[in-house]
Amino acid sequence: MDSFRRTFVFFIVLSFLHVLLISAQVQSRSGMPVIKAAAFGVFASIQHLTSGIADLGQSFWANYIALRGVAAENDQLKKRVLALEGITQAQAAIVSQTNELEDLLRLQQSLVVPTLAARVIAGDPAPGADIITIDRGSADGVEPDMAVIGHNGVIGRVFNRPTAHAAQVQLLKGRLAAAAAVTEQSLAAGIVQGGAGDPPLEMNFVDVLRDVEVGERVYTSGLDGIYPRGFLIGTVQRAVKGSGFYSDLRLLPAVDFRRLDVVLVVLVKRQP
Amino acid sequence: MNVARVVIVVTVGLVLQMALARYSVGGRWVFDLVLVAVVYAALAWGPIAGMWAGTLGGLVQDSLSGDVVGIGGLAKTVAGVSAGVAGTQFIVSSGAARVATVAAVTVGHRLLVVALLAIVDQRWSDVDWLAMLVETGLNGLAGLIAFQASVLLPGAVRSTRELRRSSLSKRRW
Repeated sequence: MDSFRRTFVFFIVLSFLHVLLISAQVQSRSGMPVIKAAAFGVFASIQHLTSGIADLGQSFWANYIALRGVAAENDQLKKRVLALEGITQAQAAIVSQTNELEDLLRLQQSLVVPTLAARVIAGDPAPGADIITIDRGSADGVEPDMAVIGHNGVIGRVFNRPTAHAAQVQLLKGRLAAAAAVTEQSLAAGIVQGGAGDPPLEMNFVDVLRDVEVGERVYTSGLDGIYPRGFLIGTVQRAVKGSGFYSDLRLLPAVDFRRLDVVLVVLVKRQP
Repeated sequence: MNVARVVIVVTVGLVLQMALARYSVGGRWVFDLVLVAVVYAALAWGPIAGMWAGTLGGLVQDSLSGDVVGIGGLAKTVAGVSAGVAGTQFIVSSGAARVATVAAVTVGHRLLVVALLAIVDQRWSDVDWLAMLVETGLNGLAGLIAFQASVLLPGAVRSTRELRRSSLSKRRW
């Protein structure tokens, strides 16, 4: 009975401390940067180690054991490379024409942003957190709030302070993530937020007078200062009636968040 | 309660969670190996061990996940105490009973997290029931493996040692 009472008292005290901790952050909205940085600093090196071991096993399997069908795949890839070379040449021709037109019209030429390839070394520390860890950090020029993209579109942003060789990326589909966006044809601006369920992205505060079509593409508008303008976020799947003068759109993400292995960090600092 | 054992179990759970979650980011294969570690500590060493394991594991998970620090800590503390009390009040020595405990704690923990997030965010978010079902199943499976390993491994190590000793004693030096 004494042991039960002691457990009960401990439990009440600990729960009370947790509630105090939560309340302090909810009021200040500032989080616990020191604790977060310390925890990430400790676990980043362990993540590097476990990721290295897993990759070694995967590499041994892929390069020495699972070689069935490689020749056929090689043939297919050669054909695909030929087709892509054709497309690239056509695109280069279009770019050249566009540049000439931009010169003629004296428009500001679109900049190619510098990027850095990074490998995903760890997944969600807690289910539903929608956070990944990459193997590039402050030593590689990665800074908080830099955009992270994949070959299809926006993945998320670097958050918290990175360690020398690791950084955490908050996925755009996460509950606490958001990006300023604009639709391709109707030019309706809004804010894309994660955590919307299925599909996981929701575009809020869209002017109800804008005639947005299903299937229309949604790009970053650059207004948030984190994501540079023009990166694909997703396509409109359906429109939901919002409140007042706004409507909400449900978006299908351009990126398949289940297949994240290599990502690109956009090395552009946050615009104030 | 041995503090070192609790810390080791939680650390192993956390490292495995992050290493394996890399292959299931954004998918429906949801699991929480830290919660499994908390239930393991609670059933193996009692409610106080479960409570400390829950506090430690939850707070570290919160720190790494970018959310409000304390939500996971509180939820896992409750989960650890509940599992520990269940372990002292009911007979949970069989594999099926332990898996059932892990499954029940998983459901309770997830609902508690959703409720706490709703209080903090001031809005009710949708509960993904399918993801919860998958998490319950995978956590139960992980719990079964963990408990079976803890039962079988010491025996296997002991028999290997004895075999080595007996082969050495037969030698004539």
